[in-house]
Amino acid sequence: MDPTPFPEVARWRAFPLLCLAGILLLGLLLSVMVGSVSVAPREVMRALFASGTDAQDPAVAVVRYIRLPRAILAGMVGAALALAGLGFQAISRNPLADPAVLGVSSGASFGVTIATLLGLAGPFGNPAVVTLFAFAGALLAAVSVYAIAQVEGRLPITTLLLSGVIIGLFFTSCVMLITALLAAAELQGVVFWLMGNLAPVGRRTLAILAITLAIGVLVLSRHASRLNLLALGEEQALQLGVEAERVKRAVFVASALITGAAISTAGSIAFVGLIVPHAARLLLGPDNRRLVPASVLLGAAFLMLADLVARSVMAPAELPVGVITSFCGAPLFVYLLRSRQGGEAL
Amino acid sequence: MRDAAGRRWIMGRAVLGLLLWLCLTAVPVRATTTTDMLGRTLTVPDGPMRVVSLAPSLTEIVFALGRGDWLVGVTDFCDYPPEARSKPKVGGSMTPDLERVVGLRPDLVLATAEGNPRDTVALLTRLRIPVFAVKPDGYAGILASLQAVGRALRAEAAAARLVRDIQGRVGAIRHAVAGERHPRVLYLVWTDPLIAAGPTTYIHDLIEMAGGENVVRERSVPYPRLGWEEVVGEAPEVILVASHRNGLERPPIREVWRSWQSVPAVRSGRIIAVPGDTIHRPGPRVVEGVERLARAIHPEVFGRMEAR
Amino acid sequence: MSVVEVQGVVFRYRTGRGVEDVSFQVSPGELLGVVGPNSAGKSTLLRLLSKVMAPQRGRILIEGRDIALLSRVALARQVAVLPQEFHVAFPFRVAEVVLMGRYPHAAGTWRVTHDGTKGRAVALAALQATGTAHLANRRVDELSGGERQLVSLARALAQEASILLLDEPTAHLDLRHQGIVLSILLAHHRERRGTTILVSHDLNLAAEHCDRLLLIAGGRILTAGRPEEVITPRNLEPAYGCPVTVERHPISGRPRVQGILNQRVLPGIAWQHSSDVREAGRS
Repeated sequence: MDPTPFPEVARWRAFPLLCLAGILLLGLLLSVMVGSVSVAPREVMRALFASGTDAQDPAVAVVRYIRLPRAILAGMVGAALALAGLGFQAISRNPLADPAVLGVSSGASFGVTIATLLGLAGPFGNPAVVTLFAFAGALLAAVSVYAIAQVEGRLPITTLLLSGVIIGLFFTSCVMLITALLAAAELQGVVFWLMGNLAPVGRRTLAILAITLAIGVLVLSRHASRLNLLALGEEQALQLGVEAERVKRAVFVASALITGAAISTAGSIAFVGLIVPHAARLLLGPDNRRLVPASVLLGAAFLMLADLVARSVMAPAELPVGVITSFCGAPLFVYLLRSRQGGEAL
Repeated sequence: MRDAAGRRWIMGRAVLGLLLWLCLTAVPVRATTTTDMLGRTLTVPDGPMRVVSLAPSLTEIVFALGRGDWLVGVTDFCDYPPEARSKPKVGGSMTPDLERVVGLRPDLVLATAEGNPRDTVALLTRLRIPVFAVKPDGYAGILASLQAVGRALRAEAAAARLVRDIQGRVGAIRHAVAGERHPRVLYLVWTDPLIAAGPTTYIHDLIEMAGGENVVRERSVPYPRLGWEEVVGEAPEVILVASHRNGLERPPIREVWRSWQSVPAVRSGRIIAVPGDTIHRPGPRVVEGVERLARAIHPEVFGRMEAR
Repeated sequence: MSVVEVQGVVFRYRTGRGVEDVSFQVSPGELLGVVGPNSAGKSTLLRLLSKVMAPQRGRILIEGRDIALLSRVALARQVAVLPQEFHVAFPFRVAEVVLMGRYPHAAGTWRVTHDGTKGRAVALAALQATGTAHLANRRVDELSGGERQLVSLARALAQEASILLLDEPTAHLDLRHQGIVLSILLAHHRERRGTTILVSHDLNLAAEHCDRLLLIAGGRILTAGRPEEVITPRNLEPAYGCPVTVERHPISGRPRVQGILNQRVLPGIAWQHSSDVREAGRS
C-alpha cells in the first residue's frame, strides 16, 4: 500500500494555478500591446514603466491610460463573473447555473434603462450615477429572487432557479417597455450597454469593483470546503455538520453582490459565469478550494482575451465583448448539455 | 304681348339652366399638381390646406414660411416655435400614429426621407392622402427642402426670402473664418458609445462651413462608432458634444478623460457642449447651428464662448 | 444509561403527516431496528435524530445532551448517517468523498475538508474496510450502484461516530452487495461496540439482525421489544393493513414474515398460493 494515502488528492496542485497566472499575465501583456493605434513594443514598455514620460505623448495616453485600465477592468469583471458563477453553481448543485439565470443582469439592465429615461445617461450625465442605478437594479432583482424563493428560513434551490428566471423575464419586459419611449441616440446607448462594454470608468468605480471582488473571494474561500460537502446533497451536508442554510445565504449574497458590481460597470456580459468555472473544473477537478482561485485567474484571463479579440477582429470598429463570449459560450453550453458531465445533475 | 313676356321667360329659364349646369359640372375644389424631392407627383388643393408635419424640422419650416396656421398636426418632438407645442400630436417621427394622421383629415402630409418610415408614406398614399417628401442631403439639401416645401405650400416667395437670408448669414460666417486655420473637430452625437457625425451628414457640412475639419471625414458610414483609442489617434483639437435637452447642466468632460493629455482638446479643455436641436434639424434654424459651431470652433473670431 | 433518548417528540409536515408523541430509548451497543409501513415516519425520525429538522415539541438527547443545544458539527462527530442513495452533483473522486466524512473532525474555522494525515489514514482504513480502496481515484459517477453505496458507507465509517443511523441501506442493492454491506455493518457494529439504528422496510432483515425493534405506523410507535415480541400477526396486521403469516427462520430461529394477498381485495382473479398459506376464509 502507498505510504501516503491518496497522493493525487492530497497534494496541493500549485502548478496549474501558476500556469493560469502565467496565462493571465500573457493576456495582460497582449491587451496592452494590441489596439487600433499601432504602438511598437518598445514604445509600449517605455510608456508603461519609464517614469517622467511626456504626458502628452499619444503612446503614453493610449497604453497607460486607455489600454491598461481597460485590461484591468476586463480582468476584474471577468474574475467577478466567473467567481459568481462558481458560487451559484455550487449552491444550486448544478454545473449549468450562471449569474444571468438569477435575474441579476436583467435587473441591472433595468436600472440603466431607467437612468437613461430620466436623462441621467449620455454625454451630460454622470456615468457614476448610471453605474449606481445599474447596481441598484441588480440588487433589487437579487432581493426579489431571494424573497420569492425562501420558505420559512430555508432556500430551496429549484425554487431559487425558477424565481430567478421569472424575475429575469419580468425585468427584461420592463426594459423592452421603456426602450419604446427612448429617443434614437439614447436607444443606441442602452443597446451598447446591454451587449457589454468596457468603456473607461472612473477610478472610484474601479476601486469599488476591486473591493467587492475581494469580499467575494473572501466569502467563497471561507466556505469552499463546505460547498464541496453541499455536492452530496443538502441533507447529507447537514448531517455532516454543515450549516447549509447559512452557507447558501452567504454565498448567494456574495455572488449576487459581485455580479451586480461587475454588470453595473461593464454591462451584461453573458456566459463568463458559466464557461469559466466549468473549464476550471475540467482542468483542476471539482474541489472548490482550488476552483476559487482558478476561476478568478481564468475568468480574468478569459475576458481580457475576449476583449482583445473584440477590439481587433473588425478593427477599427469595436465589437461588443458580449458577442465574443457568446460565440465561445453557446457552443460550449450545448456541448455540456449533451455530454455526460453536464447532464448528470439535472 | 306674347313676344316680350315669352322672351323674358325664356331668358330666365336659360339663365337658371346655365346656373344649374354650372353648379352641377363645377369641380368642388381647384387643385395644382406638384413634384416632391423624391420625384413623386401629387395633387394639392388650392386655398388654405390642412397640413400635417411628420418631423420637427418640417414643422419649423412651415412656421418660418408663415403657414403655421395651416398646421393641424405635428409630432411629439415638435417644440419650436412655441406655438407648435399646442398643435395636436400624431406620435413620433419614426413611429407616427397613422390613425391620428388620417383622423385629422389632412390635405397634405409633409414627410422626410430621413426618419419617417417608408411604410407610413406608402399607406398614406394608398389612402389617397397626398404626401410631400423632402430629402435634405447635406447643406444644399436643406436649402432645397426649404424651397420644395415653399412650392408645396404655395409660399415660394417666402421660401426664396428665407433661403437668401440663410445663405447671406452663412456666407458671412464662412467669410469670417475663411482666412483662419481649420482646427480638427470631433463632433459627438453620443458618448456611450462614441458616435460621431460622418461626412455624409449635413452636420459635417455645417462643421466645415463653420471653419472646422471633421476628423472622421474619411469614414463612409453616416454615424461611425469610435473607440477611445481612435480618438487619441485622431487627436482632435476641439470636441463638440451635442446636447439633446434644453439647458446645458454640466460641462461634458469626464474625469477619466483628463488623463489623456495627448489629445489637444483635452489638454486645452476645449470640450464644448452645443445644442443639438439647431444642428441636427435640417430646418430654418440651421444658420443658428452654424453660428453656434463657429463660435465654438473659432472663439477668437466670434467672441468669448463658454469653454469649461 | 441510554445513549439516545427521544422524549415526546412531535413533528408534523404541512401535509399533516409526521411523527406524533414518539418516545423511546436506545441502549449503548444496541442495534435497534425501526420498521413500519411507508410514510409511517421512519425517515422523519432519522432526520430528527440527525438534526436535519427540529422537533416541534419534545426533545432528543444524545449521550445525555439535548441536540437542540448542540452544534451541527459536534453532533456530526457523534452521529453518522448512511442514506439510501447517494448522488454527487460534481465529478468528485471516491477518495475526496470519503475524506468529506472527516469534516466534523477538521479543526479551526477555516475548515479544511479533512484533518490532515490522521484524516487520510482513517479514510484509507474505511476504504479498505469496505473493500473499495482500489476505487480511490475513480470518479463516483462512474461507479455502479452497489459500489457507490459501499463508498457512502466508507464515508460514514470515516466519520468515526459512535452512533450510526442507517436509512434503508440495502434498499437499492443487488443480492451480492446487500450481503457485503450488511456484513460490513454488522462487523463494524460488533467491533466498535457502537450504537446502530437501522431503518428498514425489510421486516425480515430487521428481525434477523437487530437486538430490538420499534414498530411505527401512522407516526406513532405501536410497539417495541425483541423481534420475537414485535413480529407477530397481532402487531403487524393493524400496522400494515394486510394479513401476514409468521414463522421461524430455520437456522437463526428469528421470526420470518410473509404477507398474504387478500383474495377479497382482488375478486375474480385466481392467485397461486404457496402451500403454507392459510385459506382465504381466515381473514
